[in-house]
Amino acid sequence: MGEFSQDCLTHLDALYNFAMYLTRKPPEADDLVQETYLRAFRFSHRFQPGTHLRAWLFQIMRNTFLTFYRLRERETAIAEDGVPDWDVPMFHDAPDEDSRAMEAHTDLERAMRRLPEEFRTVLLLAEVEGMPLEEVARVMACPVGTVKSRIFRAKERLRGLLRDYEKQ
Amino acid sequence: MSDETLGRRLAGELPRYTAPAALRQRIAASARPRPARPAWLAPTLSALATAALLILFVIPRMPHTTPADAVNRLVGAVVAEHTRVLLWGARRPDIVPLAAEEAGIRLARAFVGDERLRFLAAEPVYLDWRRGIALHYRDVEGHDVTYVAIPAPGMPVPDRNRVDIQMPDRVARPALIRSGGFATWFWKQGDLACFIVSDRVAESDLPAFKEYFVRMRGATEPQAF
Repeated sequence: MGEFSQDCLTHLDALYNFAMYLTRKPPEADDLVQETYLRAFRFSHRFQPGTHLRAWLFQIMRNTFLTFYRLRERETAIAEDGVPDWDVPMFHDAPDEDSRAMEAHTDLERAMRRLPEEFRTVLLLAEVEGMPLEEVARVMACPVGTVKSRIFRAKERLRGLLRDYEKQ
Repeated sequence: MSDETLGRRLAGELPRYTAPAALRQRIAASARPRPARPAWLAPTLSALATAALLILFVIPRMPHTTPADAVNRLVGAVVAEHTRVLLWGARRPDIVPLAAEEAGIRLARAFVGDERLRFLAAEPVYLDWRRGIALHYRDVEGHDVTYVAIPAPGMPVPDRNRVDIQMPDRVARPALIRSGGFATWFWKQGDLACFIVSDRVAESDLPAFKEYFVRMRGATEPQAF
């Protein structure tokens, strides 16, 4: 195995964790991680040595998720009733009732699941993975200012959800 | 709850999921370089592709000669027609212009016999899927001689067995083909293949057979129309 592949594999656990929060289902997380690595190996010539490999891999994973998994969700929604449903949520905003889905053990985890994808992702990358804002901006393909704004709004939304859980 | 507190809770309380060992193994396996192709594979595939291109595009456009068996087949048909006339006579002993019209061949001039060769009949023939005309003669020694003109565009006269024959104004070079106990002169006039068949097959008969060629070839002018 080459040095590049070895370096990629050092980020496997972080990527799998991110995939679990994106897809919520272990089999889908497996698929997403595998697809991410396949693309990374196939397009390794596009990676510029000296830049952040971790951010590059997370960017591939998020793009794969947004293009492939979201498309699959929309196709499923259309196929079920034969009519395009334009109200299908872009991201997983509601808790998944699937028994195979990972269970939420804490209010914090449950609240994270309720966040829109772009809020959930910035919190995971910046607060959980500890990525600098510049790397998060690269993964999200947006300016650093937008990342800061999303982190602020994500935390506000999260605080609101946690308050609701405390009241229940 | 402050931003710092919430950040600490996210980093400390949120469960982290670890990649299953099987997934790690699958990804590690996919990262291993695939075995290189055998060295002979690329040149072999290239050669096969070139051969396929040759077969598909080049060979049909290459100048080619008609296979010898096509000439032999046509000569065989002419000899068979001559043999049939020997056995049963001409089917339609009509006059030359009518036979020529039915054959789709215009005879600008035709050899109608002389002191050596007596004209017997003319008739349209259908040989090797082609319409043509046959003129039948008998020489003073009783040998039947058949002249056949038939369309054969693109069919060359074989280079082998060419014989030089002095004509009044030039030298002709028809091919002499001996087949089935008969001798046949084969030459081309435009897109028409012309034949003279006789049983004068021996070497001693060759001068007389050449003479028949001079008489018939010189006095007969078939044209396809």
